[in-house]
Amino acid sequence: MRKLCLSILFLTLNACSWFPAQQEEPYQLIQTWGGFGDAPGQFNEPFGIVVYQNSVYVADSRNSRIQQFDFNGKFIRAIGPPEIKKSQLDRPMNMTIRNDKLYVADFWNDRVQIFSSAGSFIKSVGGPGDEPGKFNGPSGVAVDSNGNVYVADFNNQRIQYFNANGKTLGQLGETGEVGISSDKFNYPTDIAIDKNKLIYVTDGYNDRIKVIDNTGNVINKWGGPLAINLSGGFNGWFRVPSSIVIANSGEIFVADSFNNRIQKFTSNGKFLTSFGLSTKGPRHTTVGVAVANDGSVFVTDHAHHQVQKWVPHDRQ
Amino acid sequence: MNSQFIAFFTIFLIHTNLYAASMQYDMRVDGLACPFCAYGIEKKLLKTEGVNSVDINIEKGIVIVKTKIGVSFSEHQLNQLFHDAGFTYRSMKQRELR
Repeated sequence: MRKLCLSILFLTLNACSWFPAQQEEPYQLIQTWGGFGDAPGQFNEPFGIVVYQNSVYVADSRNSRIQQFDFNGKFIRAIGPPEIKKSQLDRPMNMTIRNDKLYVADFWNDRVQIFSSAGSFIKSVGGPGDEPGKFNGPSGVAVDSNGNVYVADFNNQRIQYFNANGKTLGQLGETGEVGISSDKFNYPTDIAIDKNKLIYVTDGYNDRIKVIDNTGNVINKWGGPLAINLSGGFNGWFRVPSSIVIANSGEIFVADSFNNRIQKFTSNGKFLTSFGLSTKGPRHTTVGVAVANDGSVFVTDHAHHQVQKWVPHDRQ
Repeated sequence: MNSQFIAFFTIFLIHTNLYAASMQYDMRVDGLACPFCAYGIEKKLLKTEGVNSVDINIEKGIVIVKTKIGVSFSEHQLNQLFHDAGFTYRSMKQRELR
């Protein structure tokens, strides 16, 4: 009887943490830009997005290019034009910028393409395969303070990491092995690295975030009860998280793609708020997320071929 | 998985009956929950000999495959194809394209 009471108490206390209350007001949508097409400023299934200095870079996935804009959506340039073979992109997905270099997960070409922030091609890393140094559908990329590059190798169920020269250093997860245990992934979609070199991974089909230290140990995970692949639309739960970014404040923003929302967390995974377009429309209106230093949040809307700009409620 | 997928598809195309028309298959597939998966299966199908075009509606979970002239697939073959690619095939409608 005592064990039963303790079990009920344990479940009750945990259940409270599984359904967290909103701590902040939702952000407000103040602007969208884009629309379907292939002209400058238009998109065909935008996905990855990253902010650098005064620019927003958008992976215009089905148009096989990156487009650069200012914070008000004014077109600046296209990157990765198809007429130059070595810099070609095919279904570019999540991206990052570090030390003036733009790193693009080039999903269909199974490589990471590296450009200058002004769009000049620098080099490629990878190629198709499941051996070390190869990729099968790279979906996200991050760079730590030492210049090491971490790549979410989507179909190979692993994270691979390289030094700045492209030499393979190791991997997290088991190649081709899907699982819910802490040491495995289920189609990892994106990566972000914080100032303490903690690695945050959107473990896509496990519907969770995993936090890994620089020795490979999983030190935190969240997303539904026990973060064991229970998906849902409650606060703090996920349905296929597709993109993650860490704000300068250390707060975490996750594109919760199938739930049509961005979720915001503290660095240790405490739910703060969520926002997005109506859930009555098509899915995938929030697939990529980036945060500017002023707190503005830029979101790629895959379904409507546009970029959304959101700001904190008190800044409207 | 990829090599099995492509090898299987290529072998059955070599042995398949030839038609004068191309075919369109509208297939309902479970597991297409994100653009990553849609792009993945689109890439695999486009690499397969005999496939002319692939359109995917993620929202409805439908994959539309158009073949080159003279190529057709059986439902069993398509079922196996999607199973090998990690998706659950549900149903198919087919029609000839003239």
